[in-house]
Amino acid sequence: MSIDFEFRKQVMDHHIGSDLIKYCYQCSRCADNCPVTKVSADFYGTTGYNPRSNILNALLGYKEAIFNADPLVIWGCTVCDTCDEVCPQHIELTEIFTFLKNESVKKGKAPEYLIGQAKAIFDSAKAIPSQPAIERRREQMGLPPVIAPNATEVQTLMKNIGSDKYL
Amino acid sequence: MTEYKMFEGCTIGNRIPFIEAASRKVFDKVGIETSQAPFTCCPDPTGMKSFDNNAWLAIGALNLCLAEKEGKPIISLCNGCTNTLRGVQYQLKHDSLMKEKVNKELAKVGKHFEGSIEVRHFVDVLHENLDKVKAAITKPLSGLKVAVHPGCHYMRPAEWMESDDPLRPVVLKKLVTASGATLVEYEEEVLCCGSAVTNAYEEHGLANLKIKMDSIKRSGADVICVNCPACFQQFDTRQRDLSKKYETEYDIPVLYITELYALAMGYSADEIGLKFHRTRMKSVLEKLGL
Repeated sequence: MSIDFEFRKQVMDHHIGSDLIKYCYQCSRCADNCPVTKVSADFYGTTGYNPRSNILNALLGYKEAIFNADPLVIWGCTVCDTCDEVCPQHIELTEIFTFLKNESVKKGKAPEYLIGQAKAIFDSAKAIPSQPAIERRREQMGLPPVIAPNATEVQTLMKNIGSDKYL
Repeated sequence: MTEYKMFEGCTIGNRIPFIEAASRKVFDKVGIETSQAPFTCCPDPTGMKSFDNNAWLAIGALNLCLAEKEGKPIISLCNGCTNTLRGVQYQLKHDSLMKEKVNKELAKVGKHFEGSIEVRHFVDVLHENLDKVKAAITKPLSGLKVAVHPGCHYMRPAEWMESDDPLRPVVLKKLVTASGATLVEYEEEVLCCGSAVTNAYEEHGLANLKIKMDSIKRSGADVICVNCPACFQQFDTRQRDLSKKYETEYDIPVLYITELYALAMGYSADEIGLKFHRTRMKSVLEKLGL
């Protein structure tokens, strides 16, 4: 397995606080408390979703071990932020996983629902666009109409940032 | 009194507006004033953030700019929206280079992010006004056994949510107790509802939901109380899939904390649209004599 130094650097840079990921000593509290590991991994953690393995591979720059594997390795994360809270080294694991997910999107490996949501936001500025039936229900319940957002502004932002390429 | 900009979010505003109806009624009784703004999707901290973190930061900042323009704080009805708006604010305040980059993009749509307004979760605002909440309760929900699920993004990550204890939350419990209902505790209170993973891997999502629901069932709760629309939908709509898959009858109704309060403040089930719930509310209403 080869080490990708550029990938390692990107991982280090993604952390909000600092490069705390360097101090991971693989204690496995993240995996022990991960709800998805609990329901998807076997006893030795060799199958299913495992946050500890992701941190190790990201830290070592083992890009292929992350991106050439079953997408579950990345997309099994349910974003509950439990690992962040239990990590004794205060590593912001979810931020690292966000970076891995963003890279996976660029490789065309994101789950369908995610792309669907991003498309809806690009098209209508809402993840769930307004529908006539719900608008009527709002009116019946005495609610004011939702004020229409400016979809052009969202499109301009996404185009300039370059995320429209992956829709 | 502070006037908040109401951030109802995509799910509540455009899919389950009955929760907004109950929330607005409760806010009126408690004296929480709100006004609207043309907010976009927050965007979703489990969706758009995973798609493109930079776009998530920029669109989140765009929404913060809309409230900054009026100099008013935001009140959010949703864990996800609160998490995004607080998270974007936190990240941009701690990363001046990123703030500069985001402002460069925002300038192209005529906006500038300062970070000058507060973003509040409605549960925290109700908690601050607990005396007024109690004063507005005319029909205490005596005898109703309630299990709480505050949801992950209400209190995690602790650094930027700054609300409740990230692993032993108590605020929603206090709010439920104030309604006159009986709080029942269960082992898996802080376990995630699994909404995000269910979208990608239904098998794992439902296996997780089963652990959660089995624990709630053992507690003997009449109802699950939540404060997040994603969790609400996970419990309300996927309970049927769960019952079918595991051949177990769960059938535990779900109420938003503001729906629970609306009932305790004298509103009828019809007035707050409880008929739009997927899980049957009959057992709860019978127990309350409504």
